[in-house]
Amino acid sequence: MTETASWWSLPAAPALLLTGAVLAVAGDALLAARDAGRPRTVAAAVRPLLEVVRLLAAQPRRMPAPDRLLWRSGVVTVPVAAVLSVLVVPFGHRAVADLSVGVVWFNAMEVLTWAGLWLAGWGPNAAFSLIGGYRFVAQGLAYELPLMFALISAATGAQSLRVGEIAEAQQGLWFAVWMPVAFVVYLAGVLAFSFLGPFGYPVGRDIASGVLGETSGVDRLLLQAGRWLWLTSGAAMAVPLFLGGGAGPGLPAWAWSALKTLLVLALLVWVLRRLPVLRADRYVELAWVVLVPLSILQALVPALVVLNR
Amino acid sequence: MDLTAGALRAVAARPHVLLVATPGGTAARLAAERRLRLDDLPLARTPAEADILLVAGPDRPGLRPAVDRLWQHLPAPRARAHAATPDAIGPALERCRTDLTRPSRVDAGHSSDGDGNGNGNHEGHKGHGDHHDHGGMEMPAGLPMAGTGPDRDGLELDQLHIALGPFLIDWPTGPTVRLTLQGDVIQRAELEEPGEQLGDGGDVPFWAEPWARAAEGERIGIGQAARRRAAAQLDSLGRLLAVAGWAGEATTARRLRDDLLDGAPGAALRPGVRRFARRVGRSRTLYWLTRGLGPLAGSRARAAGVGGPAARADGDVPARYRTWLADVVRDVDRLAETAPLPADEEGPRGRPAGGEWPSAALARLLPDLLEGAELAAARLIVASLDPDPDELAAAARGVTARD
Amino acid sequence: MDTVQLAVLAALGVLALAGGVLVFTCNSMARVTFALLGSLCCVGGVVTVLGLPYLGVVIVLMMVMEMVVMAVFMIAYMMNPAGLMPMSMLHNKRGSLAVSGAVFVALVTAVFVTPWPAKVGEPPSDTTFQVGKALMGEQMLTMVVLGFVLLATMVGATVLATHRGRYDRFGDDLDQRPARDPVRGGVGR
Repeated sequence: MTETASWWSLPAAPALLLTGAVLAVAGDALLAARDAGRPRTVAAAVRPLLEVVRLLAAQPRRMPAPDRLLWRSGVVTVPVAAVLSVLVVPFGHRAVADLSVGVVWFNAMEVLTWAGLWLAGWGPNAAFSLIGGYRFVAQGLAYELPLMFALISAATGAQSLRVGEIAEAQQGLWFAVWMPVAFVVYLAGVLAFSFLGPFGYPVGRDIASGVLGETSGVDRLLLQAGRWLWLTSGAAMAVPLFLGGGAGPGLPAWAWSALKTLLVLALLVWVLRRLPVLRADRYVELAWVVLVPLSILQALVPALVVLNR
Repeated sequence: MDLTAGALRAVAARPHVLLVATPGGTAARLAAERRLRLDDLPLARTPAEADILLVAGPDRPGLRPAVDRLWQHLPAPRARAHAATPDAIGPALERCRTDLTRPSRVDAGHSSDGDGNGNGNHEGHKGHGDHHDHGGMEMPAGLPMAGTGPDRDGLELDQLHIALGPFLIDWPTGPTVRLTLQGDVIQRAELEEPGEQLGDGGDVPFWAEPWARAAEGERIGIGQAARRRAAAQLDSLGRLLAVAGWAGEATTARRLRDDLLDGAPGAALRPGVRRFARRVGRSRTLYWLTRGLGPLAGSRARAAGVGGPAARADGDVPARYRTWLADVVRDVDRLAETAPLPADEEGPRGRPAGGEWPSAALARLLPDLLEGAELAAARLIVASLDPDPDELAAAARGVTARD
Repeated sequence: MDTVQLAVLAALGVLALAGGVLVFTCNSMARVTFALLGSLCCVGGVVTVLGLPYLGVVIVLMMVMEMVVMAVFMIAYMMNPAGLMPMSMLHNKRGSLAVSGAVFVALVTAVFVTPWPAKVGEPPSDTTFQVGKALMGEQMLTMVVLGFVLLATMVGATVLATHRGRYDRFGDDLDQRPARDPVRGGVGR
């Protein structure tokens, strides 16, 4: 049974999310160090965390005729939505709030990044930022529908939108095993809404960092933190949706949750550097012509299974 | 102010460096890139992200105003330095990092929008619209509004004017391509070559050096030239892969390049180079993402005066990077050859023709290839041809190599 | 409904109204769009507090996507260049005031005139299930037909708006491969 945890879970959940994000950043730093031929040490892993101090110390940036209000709201939305999304994710058998519509809540929070990134691109009144913001909308139109069908597949399989019940419905057989397409599409969606690695199109190097291009200081810190928080949150959500939640032999439920989350996170971080950036002009067609039909067929499978139960 | 001092020390421990390589400064740029890679100092993509502005290469008076504008866009705390030679890179970086720790550097005197240029990306990213007369209508912040024009799809869309260059990450410093965009389609592209404004034209281009020296009668071994050519093409590949957003393989390309220039023996390099060539050359994803971009038939290339890999590839972006990969693999096998360089051996970007370096012809091809492409493809097309800024700068002085 | 819920309901209602007012007082297309989004998110909150969490959260979910897409279109198709100039959102003030006033009065009257049924029994514990049953039970045929009509409308509108047909793409005998497209797509066509 997943239960709503007591008050202390309210600060604990964001803290756990942050820990996961820091581990992801450290893992990415180690992979970068390996690629660049630097020694792989603890120091190399934690060096990117200096960014936090560096960005806090940096002078905020002024642009001519920015829309400051929208810019700031966009920048703040991304990390805040990531933290809110994790409220419904059970850690072991406890979630901050095991809502009856948990899956939809997660989805709604994830969609808030659409607004956040578009605003962050719009705000500074600069061409390449704006292009970055629009790029995320294009990317969103490509990844969102397959991702929604992946979430629907898991919810249909469990006949519930409650994340805890979805995890419980996988006693014996994980959804990842008999809904592999949904699982893969979901993981691609996680990379896409964290706009990292192959889905870093809105912050592409070819448009001088796009949405991030004009940000410095705290703005940049919030957006960058938002990306890694989203990656972690997506990895954490994959566990109850597709990998049986906290179920597992020997260890307590929370340990299994943490272990599975870290494994998914490691997989995602590994993929980040292994693929070139998927441009929307190619990916949108793939998403609509191949991924949407595939994920609809995938959603049909649990529907038929449930009907015949 | 211990807090401030501590924060500044953290900034100086891992500053982001905006590296600006001036034309003729390839050797200094390579030294800087190598140093930044090994010291884990990230390359900044825009001035907004940077703490240090490092100008590598000879001083070019023509580019000074543009460099100064970049500097104005750096948020404090910040430091800048100029390193003309590869040896000066290390000390310049150290000096900048020391400068960063001095609290006095946190001055609010420089606002980051000093010149009112709304696009503080690398200099030249001016996203201003066409100047149209709006009958005295008040413009927000005095910025002109965009005008419209007919476009490819039969719509009347706003025209956005964006300049790529002269400074941009993974861009050949110097030439500027002025784009007229409607939506994300490039309607018009004009090349603005730096020409004489750069100064004396500089020395012999770094990558073409063995060929130039051989032309002057010096005895250059095939292996020596092959090493330089392989490194040049790995440099180009690194730039293309970085623009394509493939962080892992871009770093690998640059590592292999640095190893080659360090004089690593062929036997030690061969496995790494082959693995790299296999991964990139056979990558279906990269092929899927780049196929059909910037098609350039061999005949058209030769008619424009382009020789070398771009003409031999006779095709689109994938054809060009696969040609580079094949060349690199072949060259790494020839590192030990000591026979003198034959006269028909071509340089990294082809043979000089008609008294000019091959990059000049490559750069002239750009507008034609860019028009009609989408903005997302523009940088890939440029990177797949990769005109050498050194050669462009030296073009004014002419070629001493044999034709 | 306890006091806390009432207070939240009132606050969300006021915020939703304030967002609605901002839609007509802001002078930038982007701000207008996001004021509307803020208002609609508050409506989603209202629906949630009223005991329909699924509908409430889905309103937020759909409206964020919809408003972002709307921002793109509104800015692209404004008559002043790109909708970037400050502009008034009020047109035909007298007429619209009359229409909106009449509609408001009619709706408020309807609230008081309608013979609302008396509450019988307890609300179901899982309203999501009830909503699903109401939409997909007896109204299944309506919903399915509606879905197809919407899809057909979107495809039809896109086809009508495109000035390039299949003969432009595939040649007069439809045998040109790959298609003559200005930019190739991602699935080899």
